[in-house]
Amino acid sequence: MGNGYRLSNRIKEGIVDVFYIWKEELKNIFKDSGVIVFFFLVPFAYPLVYALIYNNEVVHEAKMVVVDDSDTYLSREFTRRVNATPDVHVVSVCKDMNEAKQMLDEKKAYGILYFPSTFSKDLNSGRQTKISLFADMSSLLFYKAFLLAATEVSFDLGKEYVSELHPAVSQQAEMIKIDPVPYESIALYNSQMGFASFLVPAILILVIQQTLLLGIGMLGGTAREKNKLHTLVPSNRHFKGTLRIVLGKSLSYMVLYAVVCIWVITVVPRLFAFPQIGNPGVILLFLLPFLAASIFFAMTLSGFMTSRESPMLVFVFTSVILLFISGVSWPKEAIPEFWRALGCFFPSTPGVQGFIRINTSGASLNEVADEYRMLWIQAGVYFISACIIYRYQIIRSLKATI
Amino acid sequence: MNSGQPKYGVRAIAAREVKRLLANRLYLVCMLLAPLISVVFFLSLMHSGLPTDLPVAVVDLDRTSTSRNLTRQLDAFSQTEIVQHLNSFSEARIAMQRGEVYGIYYIPEGFSVEAASGKQPKLSFYTNGTYLIAASLLFRDMKTISVLAGASVGLQTGVAQGKPTAQIMGQLQPISIDTHALGNPWLNYSVYLNNTILPGILQLMIFLMTVYCIGIEIKHDTAVEWLQMGRGCLFKSLLGKLLPHTVIFTIVGFMMCAVLYGFNSFPLQSGWLPMLTAMFLLVIASQAVGIFMIGVLPTLRLGLSFASLFGMISFSIVGFSFPVLAMHPSLQALSDLFPLRHYFLIYIDQALNGRDLYYSLGEYLWLLAFLILPFLIGKTLKKALLYMKYIP
Repeated sequence: MGNGYRLSNRIKEGIVDVFYIWKEELKNIFKDSGVIVFFFLVPFAYPLVYALIYNNEVVHEAKMVVVDDSDTYLSREFTRRVNATPDVHVVSVCKDMNEAKQMLDEKKAYGILYFPSTFSKDLNSGRQTKISLFADMSSLLFYKAFLLAATEVSFDLGKEYVSELHPAVSQQAEMIKIDPVPYESIALYNSQMGFASFLVPAILILVIQQTLLLGIGMLGGTAREKNKLHTLVPSNRHFKGTLRIVLGKSLSYMVLYAVVCIWVITVVPRLFAFPQIGNPGVILLFLLPFLAASIFFAMTLSGFMTSRESPMLVFVFTSVILLFISGVSWPKEAIPEFWRALGCFFPSTPGVQGFIRINTSGASLNEVADEYRMLWIQAGVYFISACIIYRYQIIRSLKATI
Repeated sequence: MNSGQPKYGVRAIAAREVKRLLANRLYLVCMLLAPLISVVFFLSLMHSGLPTDLPVAVVDLDRTSTSRNLTRQLDAFSQTEIVQHLNSFSEARIAMQRGEVYGIYYIPEGFSVEAASGKQPKLSFYTNGTYLIAASLLFRDMKTISVLAGASVGLQTGVAQGKPTAQIMGQLQPISIDTHALGNPWLNYSVYLNNTILPGILQLMIFLMTVYCIGIEIKHDTAVEWLQMGRGCLFKSLLGKLLPHTVIFTIVGFMMCAVLYGFNSFPLQSGWLPMLTAMFLLVIASQAVGIFMIGVLPTLRLGLSFASLFGMISFSIVGFSFPVLAMHPSLQALSDLFPLRHYFLIYIDQALNGRDLYYSLGEYLWLLAFLILPFLIGKTLKKALLYMKYIP
């Protein structure tokens, strides 16, 4: 009888403590301008900054110069059509390659299209003719813009010219002769192959994890600095149960980040019209373990932060590495084993993969089952490790008081 | 009298700073370990230059020797690896949503018969545009194989009609394009990205360290003692304090250059001097920006936040992946405020293209111009160092 009473009493007390700690942690957060920066300012402003930087998605009107040794109707028509594509802008026609190269040196252009003197002669006599394209490699996107525009024009112009030169019996016979196997190419889920649609979703997920890491790390470091005994846990009667502390604190982060996620995951993509075909319910279900894993991960690491500045010094540069480890830009199949294994420790790795596939490619939880399972495992493991860290700190703070 | 170190002057302050650097493990982590990890990570990640064997699904509804031959040829490309043979497009789409493949190659039913009889069957290929690099590389391979398929059919019919090969090619592809990617003909991503990412990490760590080493003096109430060692002259005090950082970061930067241009033999058309100069200027320009940051926000945590955010944005706004010229004009102007931007432009001119030094002079001057920043904020910073109390 007595036992039963004590148990129910303890549970009641535990719940009260959880909410007490929850409230205290929220107070801590709102009192601390440094934490506010990472919990609110960065998640609010950063996605906007990145979306603005990449807002144009693709390169338009990449500057090109032409060297036309052929100077015939055909080469001029070719130039005119390249200029007419949205990707390329022909800024001038140079008299020789030296002049064109100088234009590149002066950054007045980033590519050269060269027509040899034999260009029209070859075509007229039915031989294949060759033109040269030189691209400045300061950006791969310039190279791509030049290549796509020139290829498209060469294909169309070549077809028209051959059919004019050798009229066939019927239009169909003509098409068979010049284009026996047509093909079509489709970029799924990001049809214009835009840069923002590709990179920003990954950045969004990374911003959530990294700001949690910095904010919670800062709170941990501050607690260590402030509590006179340099332990993570204050000596207060409410802070005596490990479970209460971990649950109470994580609950406060969870509540705040529910709001942050609405902004980062739903408002920002809509604001910039990024492709978003994922089911909101599925996204929500997926974000739950991601948030839990990130929070417990951050709480675990916060145990190692001895000052409030150290998280910023240690964690910020990892963002660049984690973006690449997530496999969104550098395909995960091409990531060396060791780094892929290391990536498994970070919630952002399955988080980015799963989120992109749900959000942008419209996958259901079935298709991201591996990532989903991984996130729950991480959430579980990091919950336990956070408990161990806090348990250790409680014992330290108790020992120190005695 | 000669025993012990002099208590005043730049050298004394530098000696004091060296002791501080050795006493705190954070400096070791941030100045040496972070750059080292980044160098090892990025260079091993992109070791192959281009990702190879990207997974593709083939939906072959033709199932003839012609179509099988086509798939085999596609598989032979080094960037492409066919990992799945599926029976319908919807199965392939699910494989794509699972992240198992980045591309789908679709050969319609009756393809070879129709091609031989001139009915112009259509080949289709799909890439997952959310993975831009994988999609671009697969697009290239799948397009090439489609063009080749057309050419081989055209060749067969042409040869059957008794035409010479040159004439058939003249009909199938009258105009061919010979592309030259200047400076990086292999389209090597490691060359393309790491030449800027690694100095970017260095810039970030310099921002953070500069802000930290000054801010911590305010936080720990040692700023006055430090300024007194410089006899109240902020310029001398800063010089002595940051000199050890300059030496360490310059060595780290030069090691990066050695790894990039020496060990990895990345393009270095200009020779070493222009790039090493640029690296040194990047180091001191970043330090100057760091001084400015802690001067504007003399609270350690806010100064560090400023440094982190500015340092992270530079990876995007520098324009080595998405070009600055394609950004909004106001962002183009903003990009000039990042030392890394000017370093990147020097790298393009000098190491990658081997242009005349004349074309990069402006960028070198830009890097030097950052050194004015500390003088603009000097008064505010000194006031903060003397009178500000750290509020936790």
